[in-house]
Amino acid sequence: MNAAEQNLLAGAESLPPAPGFVAGPRRAGREAFERLGLPTTRQEDWRFTPLAPISAHAFGRGDPAAPVSADEVERSAGRPFGPRLVFVNGRLRAELSSAHGVQAGLHASSLQHAIAMSPGLVEPRLARTAPIDGSPLAALNTAFLGDGAFVHVSGGAKGGVVELVFVTVARQGPAASFPRVLVVADPGSEATLVETYVVLGDRPAFTNGVTEIALGRGARLDHYQVQDQPASAFHFTTLSVDQGPEARLSTHASALGAAISRSDVLARLTGEGAEAVVSGLYMADGRRLVDNHSVVEHAVPRGTSRELFKGILDGEARAVFAGRIRVLEGAMKTDAHQSNSNLLLSRDAVVDSMPQLEIYADDVKCGHGGTVGELDPEALFYLRSRGLTLPRARSLLIYAFAREMVDRVALPALRDRVGRLVAARLPEGEQILEAA
Amino acid sequence: MSQESNRTAAMLEVRDLRARIDEREILRGMSLTVNPGEVHAIMGPNGSGKSTFAGILAGKDRARVTGGTATLDGQDLLAMTPEARAVAGLFLGFQYPVEIPGVGNLYFMRTALNAQRRSRGEEELDAVDFLELAREKMKLVEMDPAFMNRGVNEGFSGGEKKRNEVLQMAVLEPRLAILDEIDSGLDIDALRVVARGVEALRSPVRSTILVTHYQRLLEYIVPDRIHVMAAGSIVLSGGRELALELEKKGYAWVDEEAKRGAFGAPAPVAP
Repeated sequence: MNAAEQNLLAGAESLPPAPGFVAGPRRAGREAFERLGLPTTRQEDWRFTPLAPISAHAFGRGDPAAPVSADEVERSAGRPFGPRLVFVNGRLRAELSSAHGVQAGLHASSLQHAIAMSPGLVEPRLARTAPIDGSPLAALNTAFLGDGAFVHVSGGAKGGVVELVFVTVARQGPAASFPRVLVVADPGSEATLVETYVVLGDRPAFTNGVTEIALGRGARLDHYQVQDQPASAFHFTTLSVDQGPEARLSTHASALGAAISRSDVLARLTGEGAEAVVSGLYMADGRRLVDNHSVVEHAVPRGTSRELFKGILDGEARAVFAGRIRVLEGAMKTDAHQSNSNLLLSRDAVVDSMPQLEIYADDVKCGHGGTVGELDPEALFYLRSRGLTLPRARSLLIYAFAREMVDRVALPALRDRVGRLVAARLPEGEQILEAA
Repeated sequence: MSQESNRTAAMLEVRDLRARIDEREILRGMSLTVNPGEVHAIMGPNGSGKSTFAGILAGKDRARVTGGTATLDGQDLLAMTPEARAVAGLFLGFQYPVEIPGVGNLYFMRTALNAQRRSRGEEELDAVDFLELAREKMKLVEMDPAFMNRGVNEGFSGGEKKRNEVLQMAVLEPRLAILDEIDSGLDIDALRVVARGVEALRSPVRSTILVTHYQRLLEYIVPDRIHVMAAGSIVLSGGRELALELEKKGYAWVDEEAKRGAFGAPAPVAP
């Protein structure tokens, strides 16, 4: 390991004691990261995503007790629209959180608390599906296993919402945090989970989250991630989902900030008739980089998956999209589709879009599509010929491109917030919002 | 002297305009004067440069202007951005209006009107006042209000798109409206509605240029002047009777006459 990697791992050996089902994966994660180090562009999955800029900083684990006010959380993460748990540098801060209005059957707590109080629920699911070998960042997160969020959606839950806000505080110096989320959704349950990732402070922040979701038979989960971080931030998430029979997952990510932002989604349809909808909107300008990797694995028959990512790139920004649909032997009647569309606003913006189909079963329907385009000059002229200024006309058309992805957010208050975050990145953004 | 005063009073003054698309010269010395209150029709066969002319006046940059001048109320149109021309009172009704999914039709029209009002130092209309205005104008063009909640021209039929153009014109109340083939693809009813929209805007301070291939539109909107374009310039101008003559003889007649040099300078032969 180089110095940067040693800094990132510092403290992993001196965590408070934990039961075997926590200590075991911790050790495995630590050892894997020691062996693997940070990914390099020599690895196929990281070919277009150089992490060298990270090594320029000495990231130490951020202080979970760092002073943060409720005002600061609202300013960076927006007003809460329901029960909200706030985590500072990976740890739940009760004084910033409110479980007010939480729907019956929906339970959210700190992972630490759940490990101690509900080991029967946690043990069978914790660190079971998130990859460690070959996934250095998930391994690094797992090396710090023990804190984070636990969400239990019991069978009685019908449509409640919980928001988890992860604040990485980087005020004194470069700070790293390792948010961890475990979601267990019982058969037949329904819920919405929102993860919001923000940074406080203007020093470099390194956020490396892992979310594991286990959906029982017929469970339905709407899952959102909103990443709105400054250009001084590095953001990584690994989302690992295991779907039982007839379970439906919809996960939608809005990746709007950070110098380097990378999302890995691994959705496994292990029960017949499951459905996964994986979507996201990403925006990058300047020299920022945004990377979306996903694997949707159909292990059994009659699964459906839909994947749609849209990106808007300006300046010298770079986007990577790698979506793999894997249909295992025997997963007949699989219906999978994937698409990635990109809007390039500058000649120097680059997108590497790589759809991959791996099909080992017969009688399946799989497809992919995608586009890379610029703003339509005819539409621009049409708007300008009516008196709209060039910046306004451009913003309107960019927002129109993004709108489909904003509208995918079913929760009105969150949709509104995401719409504002998108518009705020466009010239005259305030005014174009009414277009929606 | 009278010519001098005419010139200052002219709303649109185009002189010897030349333009190319790629290496092909499309306008070859186009001149036209439109005075306030007048309705002009520009007719001509396909490829005569009518639509290019209309587009150039509105600031479409597909064609490159290589010579000549165009002024609106004395302002140099060719030096202005498309949005500045709109603010100055120019409106282009598109032959093929663009579909813009994701931008609401109602919002678009209010934004356009307010952008123009703001630039002129006038007060902007709020959503409620604008809706009232839009409703009144929708009646004029017999447009179903449901279309206002769709994306701009999104999924509109050809006729609905043209109605939407006339609606925008009615809302924006331009000084000079240039309607490019506004009649193409319209049935008689739609044509009547479009004509009503144009007539409603007729006033001593506004002018209209109708660009059309067919004289059918001119049965509904009676122009003050008719011009015939061929090979990039106006070869013939006259009153209402010119349209009827064209109807009888066809554009081949104009081409023949032009080739003979009957209209003065012979039109260059297209490459």
